[in-house]
Amino acid sequence: MKKVIALFLSCMVLLAGCSSGGGGQEPAASGGNSSGGDSGSKAEEITIWAWDPAFNIAALNIAKEAYSQKNPDAKINIVEFAQADIIQKLNTGLNSGTTKGLPNIVLIEDYRAQGFLQSYPDAFYDLSGKVRSEDFADYKIGPTSLNGKQYGVPFDSGVTGMYVRKDYIEQAGYTLDDLKNIDWKQYIEIGKAVKEKTGKDIITLDPNDLGIIRMMIQSAGSWYLAEDGKTPDLAGNAALKEAFELYKEMMEANVVKVNADWSQFIANINNGDVATVPTGNWITPSVKAEASQAGQWAILPIPKLPQSPNSVHATNLGGSSWYVMNIPGAETAADFLAQTFGSDVEMYQNLLTNVGAIGTLKAAAAGEAYAKPDEFFGGQQIVNDFAVWTAEIPKVNYGISTYAIEDILIVEMQNYLNGKGIDQALSDAQAQAEAQVK
Amino acid sequence: MKADRTGLSIRAKSNLTGWSFILIAVVMIAAFYFYPMVQALILSFKTGTGSNLTYTGGSNYVRLLSDKTFLTSLSNTFIYLIIQVPVMILLALFISVLLNDSKLKFRGFFRTAIFLPCVTSLVAYSVVFKYLFAADGLVNSLLMKLSIIQEPIQWITDPFWAKITIIIAITWRWTGYNMIFYLSALQNIDSSIYEAARIDGASSFKQFTKITVPMLKPIILFTSITSTIGTLQLFDEVMNITKGGPGNATLSISQYIYNLSFKYTADFGYAATVSYSIVVIIVLLSILQFKVAGDKK
Repeated sequence: MKKVIALFLSCMVLLAGCSSGGGGQEPAASGGNSSGGDSGSKAEEITIWAWDPAFNIAALNIAKEAYSQKNPDAKINIVEFAQADIIQKLNTGLNSGTTKGLPNIVLIEDYRAQGFLQSYPDAFYDLSGKVRSEDFADYKIGPTSLNGKQYGVPFDSGVTGMYVRKDYIEQAGYTLDDLKNIDWKQYIEIGKAVKEKTGKDIITLDPNDLGIIRMMIQSAGSWYLAEDGKTPDLAGNAALKEAFELYKEMMEANVVKVNADWSQFIANINNGDVATVPTGNWITPSVKAEASQAGQWAILPIPKLPQSPNSVHATNLGGSSWYVMNIPGAETAADFLAQTFGSDVEMYQNLLTNVGAIGTLKAAAAGEAYAKPDEFFGGQQIVNDFAVWTAEIPKVNYGISTYAIEDILIVEMQNYLNGKGIDQALSDAQAQAEAQVK
Repeated sequence: MKADRTGLSIRAKSNLTGWSFILIAVVMIAAFYFYPMVQALILSFKTGTGSNLTYTGGSNYVRLLSDKTFLTSLSNTFIYLIIQVPVMILLALFISVLLNDSKLKFRGFFRTAIFLPCVTSLVAYSVVFKYLFAADGLVNSLLMKLSIIQEPIQWITDPFWAKITIIIAITWRWTGYNMIFYLSALQNIDSSIYEAARIDGASSFKQFTKITVPMLKPIILFTSITSTIGTLQLFDEVMNITKGGPGNATLSISQYIYNLSFKYTADFGYAATVSYSIVVIIVLLSILQFKVAGDKK
């Protein structure tokens, strides 16, 4: 009998060991959060998750330094994860009901922000008293706030521009002025000429990513969803229809170099395979990575939709913002954001000079770093230009299902390219979106 | 008497000892297998985003039947299953018979070489395949140098070729794994059976179809069931090579579950429903395979 009891006890010890081992791993994986046990006192240690070492992490390091000068006691852990990993960890963490292992501050893409804010009520800390939403670009407020409360500190502007290879354009018989303020129809015509003269494609696209469609429709103040952020707006959406038709025209004109992923996209740019890259300003460091092409690039305003009267030469692609999680340490985290990304104009000059990161704090746009010419782009004051375009970006409500609807649209785009009628394709997408998005 | 002291009979005591030995395993399996399975089943009756879940009865199951994306992922998975599993099983059988030949030189080398793919990391090999099959990748340039094709094949961005790429990748990865089972089974077949067959004048092909295949039947059943289950759970290759594209042309059920949970706004209830559809399909297919190929007892 003694043996049995001993065995039973040893089982219990083993099980207890297992469970505490499992629990103990969580905070370690997140980079540590000292505030777990003692929730009464103000935590001085915070953890931040973000992606992209060249852009967001570099910006965080500058912010950390700026904050540490004023608050020498604060300990800030910056942890880099891929964006997909952050989304996964947030979803599983928030769903499990335990806040262990979650960061204090997290970067979320604007397209996904409402999904998180609405799916996990009370998971995010209300920053309304800490940052003033009117200090930031107007189009950023929609994604970062919910029910009148400001939850995010707007950051990466995601403003787009058309990166252009001057030499290819000139070989095709155009000047840069010919490409300024054009519409997408003219863009395709120029693309044909460039292809004929230089053999280069005008653009590189990934058929699994409809980023260009998103850019086109937002430039006309339109989105996949109606203004309420819930009702799919695909079948009767004139801007979307026009964008689809232009996409097909581009494909059929044979001026598109297809890529299959991000690394091929970057390779196509750096190898000189394409004449233009219409995309978000966050591509700047990747374009500049190919130093031998210095002086050959310029950045022009994005083309607009030819038939949509609201369309402007400015749009957004994949900007992101900072959010504070509602866990112990939130006070410190909110204070960190308020003092750095929320107000520090001086720090934003630093961000521009050292990282090339364009924020959306209005006051920062007056700084001298904005006017600095960039020799890689032939002395163009690119930040100034981007700042001007940022102010023109139409405000739309991204809602909570951008990527779910986009996957439906990608399929219908393939069907449309293969001969299905445009109205049929969009109304089929509408029907499927209505069944799926609730 | 001991039994008098503890109040237990010898039989009860030995039962207790037996149970206490398997207690750890029972508790662990209950906690880490059965509990999540039941939770997932409960979850599949809830709808909503993130943590806003409410019970809505069978609405997820109704949605499943009219969900075009689910049907696409289901048909893709079955295309992989119907084409890839038989090809792989036959290939593995063929290779294992060749490598079982005692006259073959460097047998150990060949066996290792063919088995090696299945110990490589799923993600690593997927990434390598993605680069091999890129539009300007090694495969295309090789085929063009050999004048087999004129223009590069869009292996990854064309709906048809993307499926073929996935099939080639999983065949490369798993053939060696199945081959090992056949090899070990082949060694258990008495060589005197083949000797007798040769004396009776049976050709090699006859020996293969009349002796080898029937003797390997239980192993063929085993490998086809495990391959079927593996294919139905296909995720890494699709995720890393094509991301399910172009336009869902290579989307597998597992990847759809991932998309529902993490790529879109999290819908764990519906994702659990789709997961349970795989469970049902695997159970049905396994029963079918047992009925077709299993021993009748």
